[in-house]
Amino acid sequence: MTLARWRLGPRVGALFVALAALAALATPARALERNFAGSAQLDYHFVPTSREARAFPSAFDGFTMEFAGKLAVDFSEKVSANMKVCYGCHGFEADMMYFDFRVADELNFRVGRFSPSFGAFNLRHDPANHRLSDKPLPYDMGRMLRMQQWNMSVLPSPFPDNGIEIDGSTFIGQSAQLDYAVYGVTGFKADARPLDVDFKLSRSPVSYYVDNNARPTVGGRAALTYRLGEASDVTLGASGMFGTYDPENQQTYLIYGADLSLRLGDTNLRAEYLARRTTFDTSDPGVFKYAVADARGDFFMKHGAYAEIEQALTPELDLIGRVDGMLRAGNVEAASELTRRASVVRYTVGTAYAIERGLRIKLSTELWDFSNREVASGRKVDLSMHAALAGSF
Amino acid sequence: MTALARFLAAARAASTAGALAGAALVGVAACSGSRTEGLDSGKLPESLRADYALFTQRCSKCHSLARPLAAGITDDEQWSLYVNRMRRQPGSGISYDDQERILRFLRWHAAELRRREAEKKPPPVPSASAPPPVTPAPAAPASTTSPAIEAAPGGKGRT
Repeated sequence: MTLARWRLGPRVGALFVALAALAALATPARALERNFAGSAQLDYHFVPTSREARAFPSAFDGFTMEFAGKLAVDFSEKVSANMKVCYGCHGFEADMMYFDFRVADELNFRVGRFSPSFGAFNLRHDPANHRLSDKPLPYDMGRMLRMQQWNMSVLPSPFPDNGIEIDGSTFIGQSAQLDYAVYGVTGFKADARPLDVDFKLSRSPVSYYVDNNARPTVGGRAALTYRLGEASDVTLGASGMFGTYDPENQQTYLIYGADLSLRLGDTNLRAEYLARRTTFDTSDPGVFKYAVADARGDFFMKHGAYAEIEQALTPELDLIGRVDGMLRAGNVEAASELTRRASVVRYTVGTAYAIERGLRIKLSTELWDFSNREVASGRKVDLSMHAALAGSF
Repeated sequence: MTALARFLAAARAASTAGALAGAALVGVAACSGSRTEGLDSGKLPESLRADYALFTQRCSKCHSLARPLAAGITDDEQWSLYVNRMRRQPGSGISYDDQERILRFLRWHAAELRRREAEKKPPPVPSASAPPPVTPAPAAPASTTSPAIEAAPGGKGRT
């Protein structure tokens, strides 16, 4: 997951360059159909309301840069490979390194490193594929304010992991498309006796990029897309994932969610809900802020949801509005600023303008409403702004 | 200064910054040439406009139109594999019928790229000993040329 991200630094970059060079030199050309694509985004995040929010690592306040290069190789109609390397806030990472073996449209085997099928947003997680600088809060991976207090989002995206997925797609008549997937992957990680998933450890070379408990995380997704007209369709989906994240296989997480995407001509409406139930170790009650309840006191819930509208005013100009938020319910560490029941709601308005083909300016303003006052500033409300340039090819 | 006053001051600063950014955006837009992500459908062959409209609908759901239009693919077979792979993406909404129509447009697009590449190449210099050509090379049919398409970098799929 972001957690289990493969952080090989320069080695991944060198591997990718070597693979790309090999693919480019391969002959004859018709034996391998290759396509190279990429994207980049430079974003400036400005938080004028809070000195504390600016302090790294509580928030990334300033420039952040992301770029990605992807090489897709079609060996035949049945076999293809995808390799994608990203550079972001934590250096080079392998986002994709997998093979697809397609027996039929209805049965495909994906083996390697990939983001398992979960939710609707992850299909568009590349910064060139969504119109705002920020991801929806339930999928945020580091740009949210007070991210350390919250230990990030429900399911930070992208979440590449090592494993196997069996998926497929089938049309029901000419109007309905059913997509489905089941998978087994390494899963999230943490040290022994954890209180939550350790996202840093999960993508750290300290764990040698292998599973910490040898028990795969399993999950699946099903989605139905129905065509409403030539330029309109609706997709309904449901996803789930379950696994253990500590070395002793004692602590579990269950993530589930549902999503709705509606496209009506130039208007996109999207809504998604997901929740993570995470159990934690209660052998030392002294580490908690609140007394551990006898029953049902060994887990917390983190809910997240967003609803957004994206309206194209002209072929170049999009307006976007989004409301998203998270709710965390359950015990917290003694030093945490969060209470037993903490929430955040964010309101975002933004615009994206294509200044050239494949090159967009993104501007957005976000109003954050936290349930808890920040200890240092006493604030519950914060304001932040993004200005970004995103390009794709 | 109260928290409310600080917040209002920050909001004013944000508004000012937003206005400046908006003005900069308008300035950039005014100086820009081709701003649209897609092609000018009015300049496409009439028989392809419906296919192009379908292409813009289906192929902008997960990514921008710049991805396929700037891919530089000039090989029809590569387009077939590419679109087939996209058709299998979850929620693509691309049926087999859609795939054929999208490919019809993309093959025209690829032909335009090939034609432009051929035009860029300098004509061969005839040597004194070489015999004169028997027949001149046929010109491209008028229906396949269009100012709608813009030069895309790369040749047969950028790799």
